[in-house]
Amino acid sequence: MNLTKHWAAVLDDYVIDLAWSPDGSQLAAASAAGPVTIFKNPEGTKLHELPGHDNGTNCLAWKPSSGSTLATGGQDGKVKLWDAAAGQHTGTNELSKTWIEHLAWRPNGSTLAASAGRELAFLNPDASLRHRFKPAPKTLSALAWQPKGGCLAAAYFGGVCLWDADDFVPQKEFAYGNGIHALVWSPDSKWLVSGNQDPSVHLWVPETDLELNMSGYEGKVKELSYDHTSRWLATGGGKDACLWDCAGAGPEGRDPLMFPHDTKVCAVAFQHSHGILATASQDGVLMLWSPERKQPLRATVKMPSAATKICWSPDDTQLAIGSEKGAVYVLKCED
Amino acid sequence: MSNDTSIPVTVLTGFLGAGKTTLLNRILTEQHGKKLAVIENEFGEVGVDNQLVIQSDEELFEMNNGCICCSVRGDLIRILGRLMKRKDKLDGILIETTGLADPGPVAQTFFSDDEMRTHFRIDGIVTVVDTKHILQHLGDSPEAQKQIAFADVLILNKTDLVSPAELDQLEKRIHKMNSAAKILRAQNADVPLDAVLNVGGFNLSRATELNPAFLEPEYPFEWAGAYPLPTGTHELVIGHCHHDHDENEHECDHDHEEHDHDHEGHEHHHHHGNPDELDVVVMSVKSLDENDLTTARDAAVLTFSDWENKVKDGDTFTPGGTLHRLLLKDGHGHYKLQIPHDGHFLVFEGCGEHPLHIHVAGETVKPDWQKDFQHTHSHEDAVSSVGISEPGELDGKKLNDWIGKLLKEKGGDIYRMKGVLSVKGSNKRLVFQGVHMLFDAKFDREWAGAPRTNTLVFIGKNLDRAALNESFKSCLT
Repeated sequence: MNLTKHWAAVLDDYVIDLAWSPDGSQLAAASAAGPVTIFKNPEGTKLHELPGHDNGTNCLAWKPSSGSTLATGGQDGKVKLWDAAAGQHTGTNELSKTWIEHLAWRPNGSTLAASAGRELAFLNPDASLRHRFKPAPKTLSALAWQPKGGCLAAAYFGGVCLWDADDFVPQKEFAYGNGIHALVWSPDSKWLVSGNQDPSVHLWVPETDLELNMSGYEGKVKELSYDHTSRWLATGGGKDACLWDCAGAGPEGRDPLMFPHDTKVCAVAFQHSHGILATASQDGVLMLWSPERKQPLRATVKMPSAATKICWSPDDTQLAIGSEKGAVYVLKCED
Repeated sequence: MSNDTSIPVTVLTGFLGAGKTTLLNRILTEQHGKKLAVIENEFGEVGVDNQLVIQSDEELFEMNNGCICCSVRGDLIRILGRLMKRKDKLDGILIETTGLADPGPVAQTFFSDDEMRTHFRIDGIVTVVDTKHILQHLGDSPEAQKQIAFADVLILNKTDLVSPAELDQLEKRIHKMNSAAKILRAQNADVPLDAVLNVGGFNLSRATELNPAFLEPEYPFEWAGAYPLPTGTHELVIGHCHHDHDENEHECDHDHEEHDHDHEGHEHHHHHGNPDELDVVVMSVKSLDENDLTTARDAAVLTFSDWENKVKDGDTFTPGGTLHRLLLKDGHGHYKLQIPHDGHFLVFEGCGEHPLHIHVAGETVKPDWQKDFQHTHSHEDAVSSVGISEPGELDGKKLNDWIGKLLKEKGGDIYRMKGVLSVKGSNKRLVFQGVHMLFDAKFDREWAGAPRTNTLVFIGKNLDRAALNESFKSCLT
């Protein structure tokens, strides 16, 4: 496996969020200080630098499927929409007095979910408000659309609520007695998984109300990723990337695969439609793994600072990495 | 601890109206050139342009089946997690809690979460006290007691609203609850900022610097005096002088009530047990040499734990290893003290509030040495501090077992603990600090010739000083 540096750039601050446009022709990177840079791929040139948000940008999300609509949320309590290709600010929703912490587009691109503190809202693609939900009991800590698109999972300390995408009513509520840091759905929409403060991962099968709790982690679990077959759940939470086999009845009773790093794992990401897992740790090391091979480790590279976010390009040939020191790397990955 | 790159965090607690916001505004507007972030509670009203102000609700993460000792602040984990992602590092973070908040979970947040532990350190817990209303709160609110117990710095605010005597009395009471905190007085939260920020309060050696008295041991008696006495039977009188004739006014100078140290800690005139009883021990002392006095003092501590011998008004008693319980009438009593040989005799009083005179042939004898002692049982609050100071080296395993067992059994009652320990096999000082059941210990600098000694302080509810001391001693090699 060949992993080569494709292009790199430097932002003015910590890379707080990073995402590929749906067609892979642009990469958006937000710095913690506020500006959002749009890079052109494969050239690696800076297309635009958008001002982002006062006091800092927290998150960004490309509208799925088509076009170049980018949503960003920040510490100014605003959700902003941009035409990234043109470098134009196209809309703002002054949603809240507090930080916008999470943004998530419904897979069909019709709805943008945004959370700020305990507030949750659905916005239209033009940034206007579609629905404001009643505040959650505690601060919302993660949002994840079901891949089928029928509901949004919203996590807070104490549980997860599945909100109906069209009727805005709760479909289900699952109690969980601890802090939740991250949510992920398996691509087949069967499993909903939370990464927790306690530390553990908790798995639900919303259809049947089955629940599993997998504990034994060194620290809180904030890093979660599913492979495209919905079999492997990769998690952080310690010095090993830990993979649970979710085939059939799920991981209970099965020993997880452990892919070791020398320091705490800080990011994990499976390819969209292939089987390679990228994991990154605090010491700047990035590794690629093929979980089902006898020798799973495929490649190792070391960067000068720890990754904050890693994401595969839509065609799985490039890997974008944001770092704590503000560097953005794009690596080419060839078999 | 100070050479790491972690960001210092100051926690500001205090009841509504105590003056927290005033203090916070002062910190933020004063030109100190520091880049601070303020995490204020949802009712917070501070807003300053050039500083970062974040509003937050106080979300508890109960880590372990609702056990309060294991609760941490989820909102802080989230907000601090975001704040650490900044290239321009902050010089400090201030966390303002609501009036009724228990400071425990805030402090625990920095112990239980690895990420928090690495990037931040609690510099100090600052509690602002409304001197006018605190007594009422202490009576009916466990939160008020905890806010005092958790503090590294206590600001007695609004001192203009109470009399100096009330203030002294309040300060003494608060000092008994938390003897490791630095106590400052203020009218309008006007304390120097360097007394609030960067105090290194979680560091015990700093705490002892601030207040050397906090490790002063406690005794079962409050006062002792040495009298030069000839052989014979003399009169020992308890109570105020009778106003028989004018000269007694002069004699009252010897009444140790007039002595300025005499009533240290007793302005509130509480008695230990029955007000019509006074425990005394009288013993011969070779000289007024420090060593001899110390030997006698230690012997008296033992004697005070003995069965008492009741002495009625007019009865005779002798010096020696017996605890005499003098029975008083309206605070007065006359007894005969039989002295076997010429020399110095030490009289220890269980309660230092009673004037005591010895008359030899009608003349009052002045004590030629006297001292006040901190009494063990003089706490009216359930919250108190226990300091331990013990030279020697500790057995690492025994220490571990001891801490483990102690925190398991008493962690709920121990609010704060800090210490500097000398562990056998290491030439470095082991510095530890904890909140409830969570604690953190690390070796810092070398002893480098300094005497190896163990210094600890516990602040909490219903602490048993004797048991803590004894069990700690068993960890020595």
